[in-house]
Amino acid sequence: MSAQPTFEEAQRELEKIVAQLEGGRASLEDALALWERGDELYRYCLGRLDSAEGKIEELGDRIEQARP
Amino acid sequence: MKVEPDLQGDRKVYSVSAFNRGVASWLTRLPTIWVEGEVTEFRRQDRWQSVFFTLKDVRDGSCLPVSMPRSGFDALRLELVDGQTVHVFGRPELFAARGEFRLRALSIEALGLGAVLAGIERLKRRLAAEGLFTTARKRPLPVFPRRIALLTGNEAAAKHDFVTAVTARFPAARILIAQTYVQGPRAAPALATALQDLAREQDVDVVVLARGGGSFEDLLPFSDERLVRAVASAPVPVVSAVGHEQDTPLCDLVADARASTPTAAARLVVPDEGELRERLGSLRSRLDRAPLSLVERRRAALESLAGRLRALSHQATLKRGYAIVRTDDGIVRSAGSVGVGDAIAVELAEGSLAARVEETRR
Repeated sequence: MSAQPTFEEAQRELEKIVAQLEGGRASLEDALALWERGDELYRYCLGRLDSAEGKIEELGDRIEQARP
Repeated sequence: MKVEPDLQGDRKVYSVSAFNRGVASWLTRLPTIWVEGEVTEFRRQDRWQSVFFTLKDVRDGSCLPVSMPRSGFDALRLELVDGQTVHVFGRPELFAARGEFRLRALSIEALGLGAVLAGIERLKRRLAAEGLFTTARKRPLPVFPRRIALLTGNEAAAKHDFVTAVTARFPAARILIAQTYVQGPRAAPALATALQDLAREQDVDVVVLARGGGSFEDLLPFSDERLVRAVASAPVPVVSAVGHEQDTPLCDLVADARASTPTAAARLVVPDEGELRERLGSLRSRLDRAPLSLVERRRAALESLAGRLRALSHQATLKRGYAIVRTDDGIVRSAGSVGVGDAIAVELAEGSLAARVEETRR
């Protein structure tokens, strides 16, 4: 996959591909390429969800300094 | 006051003292005027003749030193604190001994609620005229932020409500929290600085500004021009969740989205993981069905073409009861082209016949 898209970019592209395939206007050759791209996007999105790790941090020090 | 220079050759030279006294004297010709600004560095001591502070212009930070005789100041019974907006009535003055320019105050008025409200209203109109509040400027919030920044006060409630609501929807959310002053004169610059710091942190895709309800005065920093501009120029979208539903601080108007509570803000900035997975799952099955239906559609189109082709062939004509008669020379179209006794082949819809001509009629 080219430069890491954001989750929503990937999801939007996936939705577009599904709609394109369902529309039935793509040639069979294009359809195969589209499907492969869709498959890749789906895996990417799912991977982003599965690999997300919760973390709650405090931006402490710098804010202290910002206080007059 | 007459100020005399020394004559050194053909050059007039003034002493520092003479220069200062001269300028000071000239300044006394200026009229008394009202100046509005924010009080900073307020200094008062019982043994001093005067009280001192600096008036600051919140728009660009311009500063003006102010002094006022202590007795006169004390008679005003003002509780001046840093950050307060005041009107100072006075005249410009040069303190000759130090060459320091300042405003000599004759009176000071702290701005009342009405004046503060009017000031916010003026600021609102000015910022609106700049286009800071238009919907065209509002950026969409990320569906799936890599990291969410929360800027809030030192109050447990807003932080707790927000973090709880975010993690309920998306357990693996990454949240970066900054706490700073949210009320009082230090709040506006502290909030503006913290906002800039947060927005610059790695992977932060959205900043939520949260503060629980409070009095009108408590929420004043959220209408401060410095904070409003910091929100407007933030490199990522900002959600404002300040005060209660009925409050509309200016940061609500400039923010990319507005939420009535920290919990509502959480719903805006983080997706529901369950819904997200469901949506992905449905896209997956549609993706997998799509090529099959594409092939089926093509097959149906092909069959329909084949049907039309068949309909045009002679076979369909034969089916309707016609027959084709042939000799070795080809298709027989005229009775005259065969003679009695000739062998002919008759093609039918199903099978064919070998026959002989018994009679020809013209």
